[in-house]
Amino acid sequence: MAKNTQVEALVKQEYEAGFVTDIEADTVPPGLNEDVIRLISAKKHEPEWMTEWRLAAYRHWLTMSEPKWAHVNYEPVDYQSISYYSAPKSNDDAPQSLDEVDPKLLETYKKLGIPLHEQAMLAGVAVDAVFDSVSVATTFKKKLAEAGVIFCPMSEAVEKHPDLVRQYLGSVVPTTDNFFASLNSAVFTDGSFVYIPKGVRCPMELSTYFRINASNTGQFERTLIIADEDSYVSYLEGCTAPMRDENQLHAAVVELVALENAQIKYATVQNWYPGDENGVGGIYNFVTKRGACRGKHSRISWTQVETGSAITWKYPSCILIGDDSVGEFYSVALTNNYQQADTGTKMVHIGKNTKSTIISKGISAGHGQQSYRGLVKVLKGAENARNYSQCDSLLLGKTCGAHTFPYIEVKNPTAQIEHEATTSKIGDDQLFYCMQRGISEEDAVSMIVNGFCKDVFAELPMEFAVEAGKLLAVSLEGAVG
Amino acid sequence: MTQPIKMLRDAAWQVYEQTGLPTTRNEDWKYTDLSRLTAVLGETWWTPSHAADLDKETVEEQSIPELDAYRLIFINGRFQEDMPNLPEGVSVVPLSTLLVSDADKAAKALEMDEKTPLFNGAIAVNTAMASDGACICIADGVKLDKPLYLLHVATSGGASHIRHGIWMGRGATAHVIEHYVGNSTDAGLTHNVTLVHLDEAATLYHDRLQLEAEKQFHLGRVDVKQLRNSRFVSHSLALGAALSRVDIAVSLSGVNASCVLNGLYLIGGRQHADHHTRIDHASPDCTSQETYKGVLSGRAHAVFNGKVVVHEGADGTDAKQSNGNLLLSDHAEVDTKPELEIYADEVKCAHGATVGQLDLEQLFYLQSRGLDKTSAKNVLTFAFADDALTQMISAPVRRYLERAALKRLPQGDELQEMV
Repeated sequence: MAKNTQVEALVKQEYEAGFVTDIEADTVPPGLNEDVIRLISAKKHEPEWMTEWRLAAYRHWLTMSEPKWAHVNYEPVDYQSISYYSAPKSNDDAPQSLDEVDPKLLETYKKLGIPLHEQAMLAGVAVDAVFDSVSVATTFKKKLAEAGVIFCPMSEAVEKHPDLVRQYLGSVVPTTDNFFASLNSAVFTDGSFVYIPKGVRCPMELSTYFRINASNTGQFERTLIIADEDSYVSYLEGCTAPMRDENQLHAAVVELVALENAQIKYATVQNWYPGDENGVGGIYNFVTKRGACRGKHSRISWTQVETGSAITWKYPSCILIGDDSVGEFYSVALTNNYQQADTGTKMVHIGKNTKSTIISKGISAGHGQQSYRGLVKVLKGAENARNYSQCDSLLLGKTCGAHTFPYIEVKNPTAQIEHEATTSKIGDDQLFYCMQRGISEEDAVSMIVNGFCKDVFAELPMEFAVEAGKLLAVSLEGAVG
Repeated sequence: MTQPIKMLRDAAWQVYEQTGLPTTRNEDWKYTDLSRLTAVLGETWWTPSHAADLDKETVEEQSIPELDAYRLIFINGRFQEDMPNLPEGVSVVPLSTLLVSDADKAAKALEMDEKTPLFNGAIAVNTAMASDGACICIADGVKLDKPLYLLHVATSGGASHIRHGIWMGRGATAHVIEHYVGNSTDAGLTHNVTLVHLDEAATLYHDRLQLEAEKQFHLGRVDVKQLRNSRFVSHSLALGAALSRVDIAVSLSGVNASCVLNGLYLIGGRQHADHHTRIDHASPDCTSQETYKGVLSGRAHAVFNGKVVVHEGADGTDAKQSNGNLLLSDHAEVDTKPELEIYADEVKCAHGATVGQLDLEQLFYLQSRGLDKTSAKNVLTFAFADDALTQMISAPVRRYLERAALKRLPQGDELQEMV
């Protein structure tokens, strides 16, 4: 069975980005109580209202229980054994330019193949790199400032732009939204804040690379993007994590607000450590992402490539409030070995003539379990709402699973809703055709998988499309026997 | 009551006491609120209805016209002593008789595993209280020449707990029609569970026609186990009742078994119709095909949930499912959820769901050919709905349903000659 050996060799490829950078971290002892939250708030020099906001979220969180409905199994998380704050030591004298950045940190990026300044210069990308929980390097600030764009760490935004933060923080994902969002609201340590003023087209793609580093630290990122009237922004988020055995919790919250005629494109390449081939270790990725199209003709699109994490629990959603607003969701999710993903989207049509598109591609290999869970909801006033959903799954192997749970709730007769889903494996005839043209089996599989994901990759910015293709190739190539 | 039956009943009742009726907190009942049932019928919603007699004319009136069949009549859940002459190899014994004469067999007809998919407290009540039903056995190789027609009439309030059992021998073929009607002006409950067992290469055509009176509640459940090469073709119609819920669970547990689940819900006013289907592909090379159509007017609320589970090792599975919904009014609501759970890779599965209104271009086309707007709408609505009936094998049944469907459309009578 030459085929099988080949397959095994390819499937067993180890996680390329697995290493731990040795940087001294300023870490709070594990455990969660009001004092810890006050401490986090104090460390970030937050105003009183922010501390109270966190405490209110915490108190509500105490009354909630962890959701059990997702199609995933995992060891329960002990929330008292997690350390909720960790900042690199060099934080106190924060660097002003790349030269001042901890060389070890720069080395980390180099290992990941993301030379920070090079990429920033060449690709015209401003990188707000989040290393553990505190932003360390922020580039291209001046250029953005000229355009009037605010792109800074959340902690800075709380200090410098309290009005904006106060107005929008928690307005899309309330502190009481769900178990993980409440937890995040209570303990979030950093993340990005973006404000695009009226009529501004953001001059460059904004990007953040997340990276979990300090052992035993949960990452609780909070991102808030506000696109004011007639503005446009494209935001890229990518992450990798070093290899280790303990499960790490990642519970981020991302809020997007698009006002009249504004457009936000949010792209993610997620490559957290997925655990080894026996399902040991790996990141728990419980993320709440939601965008509100508040104004007329506003538009939000989510694009995600999910290849990492042991457990993924993530539903980037769009609340289409403004008339003629548009929501889009493009997703490629891959589960290999013992990875489990329960992901999808919610499209809530409230305004008239609202449109949404859902394209979800799931690829499952090894013992991977993959679920698409989506909701398309058309409320009574949403005249002429239109939705098209397509959820395709590709199965590679006998022991994996692919599941689809699409909820469709319609209360307006003028709505037009279509949902389609298919599940299949790579056809023997497709493989045969490619191979008789002289293409090797792995290349043929790679081609077919790439074709399968084409609709989604087309939505990614160039640099990400390349990275995404590479990620898939590494995780999957030849995984068909 | 004999001892084993009593134990079975007590155990089932205990299950109900523990679990109660499902609530909207339960994922399978998210959109169907049974508190409406308890609000109207009270906490003792299960109180059995009284026995009643019906004159021959009323029975004929309620029956499907021109249908040549072996007819069994149940009034308020009780079998009427009028057993047709059945051909050799076909045995039909009322559950009420079986409960007295053969406790073992009766227990078999009443058994219902708690672990079965979509199990709930209401089913436990059926096990605890079912007093009558038809226990149908078709011997190996017997091909029934005429359909078995089970007519259920509700004439007054109160609950009818009915349990049917259909056991088909190897290679046997039959067509069973369950027809639910009523002329009661009081609210009542029809509560039916049908267990189907198909041995190798058996074929069963099963029509479940729910045209209850407007205040009636209807809870139905069909549980099918299929062995190798067997075939199950089901049509489930919901046109009547204030609130109806029908669960159909099919387990394809033999190689090359196949099933077709079709259905139509055509409701208006404040009617609520819920269909949950579940198909378990537990063996290789099985096929399933599902088409459900819904037409909603008034303030009607329809729910469809179709789940296909492909178990590990069920290679060669071919599963197709589609659900189409037509909303004819501003206040109608539909919640649909076609689900796939797949644990094997050598499979072909597809599902689709649509919700929409009539195509304006199609309407325009028909109007340009001289049809008035209402007729044009009716023609299109009818064509949409009729799609779910094309695989019915009995022409009189289909005609009866088409007429009933047309009657529910505005000025639909004008189109009666179409069918």
